[in-house]
Amino acid sequence: MSSRSLSPGRIAIPVLGLFWLAVTTLPFIFVVFTSLKTQQETYANPVWALPESLNFSNYLEVLQGLFFTYLKNSVIVISISVAIILITSSMAAYALARLKFRLAGPLFALIVAGMIVPLHITLVPVYLMTRDMGLYDTPFALIGPYVATSLPISVFILTEFMRQVPKELEEAALLDGCGPFKIFWKIFFPLSRPGLATVAIYNGIMLWNEFIFAYVLTSSPQNRTLPLAIWDFQGQYSANIPAILAVVTLTSLPLIIVYAIGQERIVNGMMAGSLKG
Amino acid sequence: MTSITLAGVTKKFGNQPVLAGIDLSIADGEFCVFLGPSGCGKSTLLRMIAGIETITAGELQIGGQTMNDVPPAERRVAMVFQNYALYPHMSVFENMAFGLRQAKTPKAEIDQRVREAARILQIEPLLERLPRQLSGGQRQRVAIGRAIVRKPDVFLFDEPLSNLDAALRVHMRTEIANLHRDFSQASVIYVTHDQTEAMALADKIVLLRAGADILTKGSIAQIGAPLELYHRPKNLFVAGFLGSPTMNFLPATVEAAKTDGVTVRLESGEALSVAVDGAGLAKGARVTLGIRPEHLEMAAEAVAGQTITHTVEAVENFGEYSYLYLQSPMPAPFIAKVSGDAVGMAGRAVAFQPLAHSCHLFDEAGEALPHLASA
Repeated sequence: MSSRSLSPGRIAIPVLGLFWLAVTTLPFIFVVFTSLKTQQETYANPVWALPESLNFSNYLEVLQGLFFTYLKNSVIVISISVAIILITSSMAAYALARLKFRLAGPLFALIVAGMIVPLHITLVPVYLMTRDMGLYDTPFALIGPYVATSLPISVFILTEFMRQVPKELEEAALLDGCGPFKIFWKIFFPLSRPGLATVAIYNGIMLWNEFIFAYVLTSSPQNRTLPLAIWDFQGQYSANIPAILAVVTLTSLPLIIVYAIGQERIVNGMMAGSLKG
Repeated sequence: MTSITLAGVTKKFGNQPVLAGIDLSIADGEFCVFLGPSGCGKSTLLRMIAGIETITAGELQIGGQTMNDVPPAERRVAMVFQNYALYPHMSVFENMAFGLRQAKTPKAEIDQRVREAARILQIEPLLERLPRQLSGGQRQRVAIGRAIVRKPDVFLFDEPLSNLDAALRVHMRTEIANLHRDFSQASVIYVTHDQTEAMALADKIVLLRAGADILTKGSIAQIGAPLELYHRPKNLFVAGFLGSPTMNFLPATVEAAKTDGVTVRLESGEALSVAVDGAGLAKGARVTLGIRPEHLEMAAEAVAGQTITHTVEAVENFGEYSYLYLQSPMPAPFIAKVSGDAVGMAGRAVAFQPLAHSCHLFDEAGEALPHLASA
């Protein structure tokens, strides 16, 4: 018993776990603490010093500004984007996983290869297309790029899910009188719920934090999404760091809540293909 | 009219032939079992009839109508899958009603038909449950219920009992037989690799063979009533496949061949008479003698002729009957099935007296010689 308790694995794993917990948690603790400081405090005291008092004035300042406009824009853009992502990627995944057609394999590879395209090289063409379509500086400018950049990983996850649906269910539905679309809509779509939840939560988090497209494709404050709210507190020569971090804290809160509720689904969804494939 | 006819049907996966030369007709209300070893294509044949597998060549008719290109839902067939294939996200009621809803059946009729099927199968209390909340036997009943509600002309069963434990399998087998009596107007095609199921249920067995032989001899080894296949196998494959333990085979040469019987001499020097027509046989021709283990009856003391003597190597006692494993020149086990206990027989030489009409004789090509009419 004593020799087992001293084995390197039994010590290393908790130590590494605690180390990783510190790496992920400390920045967030820093953000929350600093958001409660005054501007003067952030410059005068050491970086890791605790706030002298719980000062919520930064939050008040953020909430009295355009925060709720940004929040509304983020919710609209991300809800519409995620809905489109779910519908299109699940239909594509069904076709790639179950329908027999020429070039299904290469097509799947091409879609998955989309995951390795760096976002930034698409910025200029996306900007030009958005401007030409007259969508520049509207919240809707973001929906197209958000859907397009999220589709490869979404199709990848859902295709793996749908490949695991037993063939007999499809055949039973065929005998029950369903065509390909009904088989998708009545059988595969509901059975892929865990995968769809994974895709929705994963993309929701990624898009909620998305900065670069929002920065390039919108310019006026009333059309910005939440990540751009920090610009309200940053001038050319100065930055209100506690207020910026108050924005970061408020922006992160919905994500933390969503993740706390859905983390099991995200992990299970990510693992589904590898465990049963 | 629910007769099913297959004429010259073949199936290939790519260039690989799976089924060849399927000529078969199943009468109205008949219970037909497709039996055969793994890989013989019996499930593929069933799926071709269901319409979920294409037919490479040949014609399929159901009720006199060509069905090769008719969608599965329009063939008036219902299928029970090996793994039940119940929709996991739907309740038992929804599973059974799903096909009717697709056919736009009025709501009241759906309700009435589902409840009627549930009553027959005794699953009424389960209607609101999800499949994952059911046992294997209950799922099987729901799968059958889903087939019944559609009132099909043909029921297709694809190894429906193979996922159940032994006791439940026997119970469900009886229920399927009862069901066929209750829905006698519908034909049934039932796929299994279990010969006991086939013998117990079938009006007609279609025994399929696997391997390269299908190209020369066709996929169908024999079609007939269960006892016909058991007592009158047409070839070595059928004789060896049906029966448990399997039929014993011994090499022999023809001593005398007449139309009223053939006498063969075994390698041991013993001679046996077999009640088959030996018209096509020449003296000295090499043949294979087949005797089922249950037809090897121990001879009374001092009986001369029509006996073979073998040393017992091992004994398995099952109470009701015993298996005697006998010494033999062949690599396959040579078994006698005797009634009652066989204690202390190991190591003893025992004489057996098979009846002439219980023996089978196969020519060099493996085809059975016809039994005499009186036998």
